[in-house]
Amino acid sequence: MTDTPGFTVEIDQNSYLPAGGSQVDAIVTVTMAGGPEAGAAADGAAPTPTGDGLEMIIVDCSTSMSGDKIVSARRATAAAIAELRDGVSFTVIAGTQNAELVYPPFVGTATADARTRADATARVVRLAANGATGIGAWLTFAGRIADQHPGAIKHAILLTDGQNGEHQSQFAAALDACLGKFTCDCRGVGTDWRVDELRAISSALLGTVDIVANPSDLAADFRAIMGAAMGKVLADVALRLWTPRGATVRFVKQVAPTVEDLTARRTESGTQRGDYPLGSWGAESRDYHVEVQVTPGVVGDEILAGRVSLVRAGSDNVLAQGLIRAIWTDDTALSTRISRGVAHYTGQAELAQAIQDGLAARKAGDGPTATARLGRAVALAAASGNDGTARLLERVVDVIDAPSGTVRLRAGVTAADEMTLDTRSTKTIRVRGES
Amino acid sequence: MTVGQPCPHCAELTGTTDQFCESCGADLRVRRDRTDRVEIDLGALAGVSDRGRVHVRNEDAMALGHGTALGQRTPGRSATRLAAVVCDGVSTVHSPELASRAAAESALDVLLSAGSVPDLPAEHRTRDAVAAAARAVAALSAPGTRDAPSCTLVSALVDRSDPDLPEITVAWVGDSRAYWLAGAGAAEPARLLTADHSWAAEMVAAGMLDVATAMADVRAHAITHWLGADGEPEPGVVTLRPAGPGVLLLCSDGLWNYLPNAEGLAAVAVPAVERRTGALDAAAALTAVALEGGGRDNITAVVIPITARSPS
Repeated sequence: MTDTPGFTVEIDQNSYLPAGGSQVDAIVTVTMAGGPEAGAAADGAAPTPTGDGLEMIIVDCSTSMSGDKIVSARRATAAAIAELRDGVSFTVIAGTQNAELVYPPFVGTATADARTRADATARVVRLAANGATGIGAWLTFAGRIADQHPGAIKHAILLTDGQNGEHQSQFAAALDACLGKFTCDCRGVGTDWRVDELRAISSALLGTVDIVANPSDLAADFRAIMGAAMGKVLADVALRLWTPRGATVRFVKQVAPTVEDLTARRTESGTQRGDYPLGSWGAESRDYHVEVQVTPGVVGDEILAGRVSLVRAGSDNVLAQGLIRAIWTDDTALSTRISRGVAHYTGQAELAQAIQDGLAARKAGDGPTATARLGRAVALAAASGNDGTARLLERVVDVIDAPSGTVRLRAGVTAADEMTLDTRSTKTIRVRGES
Repeated sequence: MTVGQPCPHCAELTGTTDQFCESCGADLRVRRDRTDRVEIDLGALAGVSDRGRVHVRNEDAMALGHGTALGQRTPGRSATRLAAVVCDGVSTVHSPELASRAAAESALDVLLSAGSVPDLPAEHRTRDAVAAAARAVAALSAPGTRDAPSCTLVSALVDRSDPDLPEITVAWVGDSRAYWLAGAGAAEPARLLTADHSWAAEMVAAGMLDVATAMADVRAHAITHWLGADGEPEPGVVTLRPAGPGVLLLCSDGLWNYLPNAEGLAAVAVPAVERRTGALDAAAALTAVALEGGGRDNITAVVIPITARSPS
C-alpha cells in the first residue's frame, strides 16, 4: 500500500488463523524509492536540503593503535572526508580516555567544501596513538555536537581497536544519553576489540557493526560507509504500530538486511500505539518481522491485528501504511499455511542466534553445545541459501553434512575468523519472490 | 462508523479512521452482515438482538412477522395477526446459535401458517408452534448425542381481528420472558407475564428460598425446561386481553438481568413507542440499557405496541 511518494509498506502474512488461534506474524517490507526528491516528497513538509547533514568521524587514538593501525586510520579518515558532499557539516574527533576535536581546530563543526576537505585531510596527521579508551566519553562528546544540529541527518563513524576502559555503568549511561541523537556505524580494527561492545553501540544507535581485520582494508571500508551515509535523505523515521485492545506485541524485529530486535525500543505514541525507531533512510529497502498476540476469535471473525504506519519521529503525518489482518477459519488448508517470508525470516533469526550461542559455548569450552548450535546454524544457512554466512561458518567448523547440520569444531580457528562470523551472524538474505 | 457511534463488536465509542474499529480492530464491513447485532423493523413490531460485550457470538435468535387469519403474510397496518419468537441458545452446548435460530424460525412458521384449520384456537396454535420448534432443535443432532444443541423460547401471537379487543397468547420454555408494559395508572397495569423455568424461580415458587437468596445462588440461571433432544418442551401458556393500550415485550435474560421489573422496562419502552419509529426505538433503547450495564450476555428484545380501547 502506497500513501505518499517515496515510501511503500508491503505486508507478507498468512492472515488465516484456526478457531481460538491468537498469534499473528507478518513481514513488513519498507522501501524508499531513490533520489533526494523522493525523500523530500516523503517528508511532506520542508524538503530535506541536500547539505543538511552532520558527519562525525571518531577515531580511537589509544596507545594500542600505534603502528599500522593509526596510519591506516588516518588514511581511512581522509578517504571518508573525500566522500563528504558540499554543505555537509562535519568534524573529526580523536578518542582516548577523553574526546578531542581534531578538525575543525576550533569549537563546533566545519561545512564541507574543497577547502575544508583539504584542511581536514591535512589535520588527520594529528590523529596520534597516545592514551586510553573511553568510548562513553567519545559518544557523549559527539552527542553534544549533534545537539547543535537539530533537524539534520546526523551520523557518526566510530573506529576502535580495543576494549572500552570505562566502567560498564558509565558506558551504558553515556550510550543511553545518545539514543536518537545520531546514528552510528561502528568498526573494529584488528582482533583485540569486543564484538558485544560495538554491537551494543550499533544496535542502540541504529547503525552497522563490522570487523576490519586487516588495517589496510580500512580506507575502502570508510569510503563505503560515508558513501552510504551521503545517500541518506530522511532522518528519524519511525515505524508506528497500532494493535487492537487486549493485544500484546510479542516482538518487532528488523530482519533484513540484518537482524536487529527493536521490541524494547518502543515509545508509546497514543492509545494502543507505539513507535519503533528506524533511523535514517536513503534509497533502500528493509524487512521487519512483527508478531502480535491478539484475543482469540471464533470462526468467521475478521479483525485488524495491526496497522503499520511510517512516520517521522514526533509527527503524526503518515508517510505510508500497511495492514496486518487476522481472519479465523475452520479451513485448515488455509490456517496451517505459513507465509514464505515469515518462515524464511524466522529461520534467519534462528541462524543468527545459533551462531552467537555456538560461539559463546565454544568460548566457554562447552564443545558439545558449540557443535550442536553451530551445526544447526550450518543447516539453516544451507537451507535458506545464505551462502555468505555458510562460508564464514566453514572457517570455524568442518562441515560433514550441511543439510543435517553435522559438523566438527575446527582446531586452530583464528580470532579474525571467529570475530568475523560473530559480527556478521546477523546478516540475512532476502526471500526472493513468491513461490 | 464515525466517532460517536458505538462499535457493534466492542461497543466502544472510539471510532475509526478506516473500516476497522480503532479499539478492537473489528472489520466493520464484515460485522454488519452477521448476527452480532440484528435489527428487524416491521413497523407494527420490531426487535433488536445484540451479541453484548462479553460473549464472542450471538446465541440468541428472534423471528417476527405478521399476517391474516387466513395465513397470508400481509404488510402494514392491515395485518390482523402479529407473531414473534425469541430464543436463547444454551451456552454450555455445541452450536447453541443453531438451536435458537431453528427454534425461532419454525415456531414463527406455525404461528403464522394457514394450516388445515384456519381458525385454530390461538392456544392450540401456540402449543403446535412450540412443538415444531422442539422438533427442529432435536433434528439438529443424532439421538443420544451428549451436549446436543438446546435453547429457550418465548413466543407471542397477537390476534387483532377486533382492533379494539386484541387477544395475546404467550408461551414460554425456560427463562426467556414476556412482559406487559404500560405507563403508571394504565388500565392494564405493567407486569411480568411469564414464570421462569429456572432453578431460582422454582425454589421461590416452592417457598423454599426468598428471591434475593435464590438469585444469588450459582444455580439461579440453571433452566429446568428447554427445547432440545433431552429437554422438557412443555410450555407455559398465558392469554391476555388487555383492558387498555401498552407494549408487549419478549426478551432474553441478557436484558432482564439488568432490568427485571416491569415498571422499569415500561419507563424505557413506553415513551419510545410513542415516537414515530416507536417499536424499533423502544427495542434499541431497552438493548442499550443492558449494554450500558455491561452486556454480559446476548441481549434480545422484541417490542409489539398494542392499541386496545380503554373501557370508559
